[in-house]
Amino acid sequence: EKKMTNDHLKKLLVYCMLCCTQKIIVQGAQTFQTKVALLRHVEPNNPKCFAEGIRDLTCFWEEDEERAGSAKQYSFIYTYQNENSSECNVTALPAAGGRILYFCRLSQTQLFVPLDIQVFRDGLLIHNRRLHIELFFLLDPPVNLTVKRTEKQGQLKASWMPPPLKYLDDSMMYEVSYVIAGTQMGQVEEVRASSEVILLGLQPGAKYSVRIRVKLDGVSYNGYWSAWTDPVLMATLPGDLDPLIVSLTLIISLILTLLSLTVLLSHRRFLLNKIWPVIPNPESKFQGLFTVYGGDFEEWLGYSAGGLCLRPAYFYSEELPAPLEVLSEVSLDLPSSPLPPKAKQAPGEDEKLKRIDSLMERWRETPHEHWLMDQLRVLHQLPGPQCSQLESQDAYVTLNAQNHSGEEPLDDILEETLPLQALFASGRTCSESHSDLGSLQQSSGSGRLSTQSSFEYPNHTWPPKGPGYTYMAVADSGVSMDYSPMSSSRIDYMGKGVIYTNEYRNEIPAHRQPIPFAF
Amino acid sequence: MVLQWAGQGIPSPVRPICDLRVLDHFIMEARDTETALRGCKAGCGVTGTFVVPLTNVDFLVWETKDVSTCLQAVEVQSGLSLLGQALGAVGESLSNAVMQSLITNNKSNIRSLGQVLHSLHIKGVSIHAAPAGGGTATRKVSSLSELLSVHINFLRGKVRLLLKNAPVCQQSSP
Repeated sequence: EKKMTNDHLKKLLVYCMLCCTQKIIVQGAQTFQTKVALLRHVEPNNPKCFAEGIRDLTCFWEEDEERAGSAKQYSFIYTYQNENSSECNVTALPAAGGRILYFCRLSQTQLFVPLDIQVFRDGLLIHNRRLHIELFFLLDPPVNLTVKRTEKQGQLKASWMPPPLKYLDDSMMYEVSYVIAGTQMGQVEEVRASSEVILLGLQPGAKYSVRIRVKLDGVSYNGYWSAWTDPVLMATLPGDLDPLIVSLTLIISLILTLLSLTVLLSHRRFLLNKIWPVIPNPESKFQGLFTVYGGDFEEWLGYSAGGLCLRPAYFYSEELPAPLEVLSEVSLDLPSSPLPPKAKQAPGEDEKLKRIDSLMERWRETPHEHWLMDQLRVLHQLPGPQCSQLESQDAYVTLNAQNHSGEEPLDDILEETLPLQALFASGRTCSESHSDLGSLQQSSGSGRLSTQSSFEYPNHTWPPKGPGYTYMAVADSGVSMDYSPMSSSRIDYMGKGVIYTNEYRNEIPAHRQPIPFAF
Repeated sequence: MVLQWAGQGIPSPVRPICDLRVLDHFIMEARDTETALRGCKAGCGVTGTFVVPLTNVDFLVWETKDVSTCLQAVEVQSGLSLLGQALGAVGESLSNAVMQSLITNNKSNIRSLGQVLHSLHIKGVSIHAAPAGGGTATRKVSSLSELLSVHINFLRGKVRLLLKNAPVCQQSSP
């Protein structure tokens, strides 16, 4: 039983050794293939030779499959200075691209002395080269590459194990490549005679991929750069706010805030008007409406609800009617028709009429004005169009000749010589259109105040006012009043005379009261 | 009197020079001399035969000598002596002033290396120059380029290996 156990153990040991050897061979083969691939790109001469340690040398060359022969056809002869030649056995391996790789490996070498290499194929020299082996090292990549974070931001510490080569450790130089993972943004750092390095100037909170390769420094020994190690990933410490940056940011923010406040304060009124526009206060347009009558518009107007429509022009007007300049005064016959009897008035409007009378008394300064007030009273009693949608835009003033009874031709009519007359339409209905311009006119007798509310009819032609009437439209824009002659039904009448127009500036004399009624 | 008495005292031991950057510097200057020689026609007119040490290092053999470091030290010291003599002979026959200056510098470096070797307190290494070729394998060269090549390889190889592995330097390094 003991023998069987020993046999089993021996078999197991042999099996393990074979497995390990096979693994080593496979790894070695992979390493060899890697180095061959490296030298294929960087070494132009043949044979391509490299030393992996202080005692070995491997040389190889490639041939096309067409020209290639068996390994026995090749001879690898090497000769050290002042010594006899020696021969190395050549081995053939399949290579990429349908080529054949021939190589020879020396297990005992001499450094710091010239070495002559000659390759023969069937006795013919195909390659010849002289080299110093200590200048052709191709080492294995460093192992155990470790990357750690330091206590400081933007730093990583990389450490590794150098290739285990005696006598060469202080002659090695390393190249550390560190890039931000997933990008090509990185740097390469060179390290000499040391197996660790601190990478500085890294981005805080970034993940870096670090790899390293090794080469002899070229003073006593030289060679090729080894293959890169497998990359190691490590993230740097997250960045703290730099106190200087924070303070500068605060200062700049404070300065910008102060500037903004200064601008806002300097334009606060403008901005307030834009954001919260002031609600228009009509108080200025209706003097006394709020201060005297407490906002009671009716009382302020002095009209009943039914009488409002009689004065639509005034009710909707944006501006107080401006007093008209009396260009000329002509003695007029006072109307015979007195004020309508009070019995005709609506019972509820008695008080209003009284107020109207009181207001009118102010106007009784001149006979002409007294006559005007009488006319207004008459006007108040006349039915007017029941329309509340009319808007008055312009005031029209008609000028008529003094004598209206006959067919007198109208001579040159001058505004200065014609009195103002009020024309009130009777029975005329208001148009429903806002743009219509209606008229309230009354033509009876002479010397009447001819005014016309500013209502437009689409195809309005002034109704015949009777003989001798000349109409002038007065447009009050609030700045100036334009007079324009209006056609009359009596064209011939118009053609005989000359209508003079004057530009009138709408100014309210300070000493006069505004006219409380619209015309 | 005090100075005489002080001068007659036991000399203080020389501090070992273990920094290999000194040797690296000498190697670089030797390579610069070899590079400058390429611009010199016909070997700068140097003729003659020079005895030089062997430079080849077989680590299997070298490490056997490491058992007794004095063998390595004696070999190195002897070789430096031979190179010094050869460079001295070359300098006298050089016509090129630049090359003459470089060769003189290299010769001075070899003397400095002798001092460095002495500071390592290796057995068998005396302050005085070892007899040329005493027990050391040598060979002959007939051109300045070969001489300089031997010079460089000797410094890079045997001299450096000896200085790097000197026992006193191994003790002082961490």
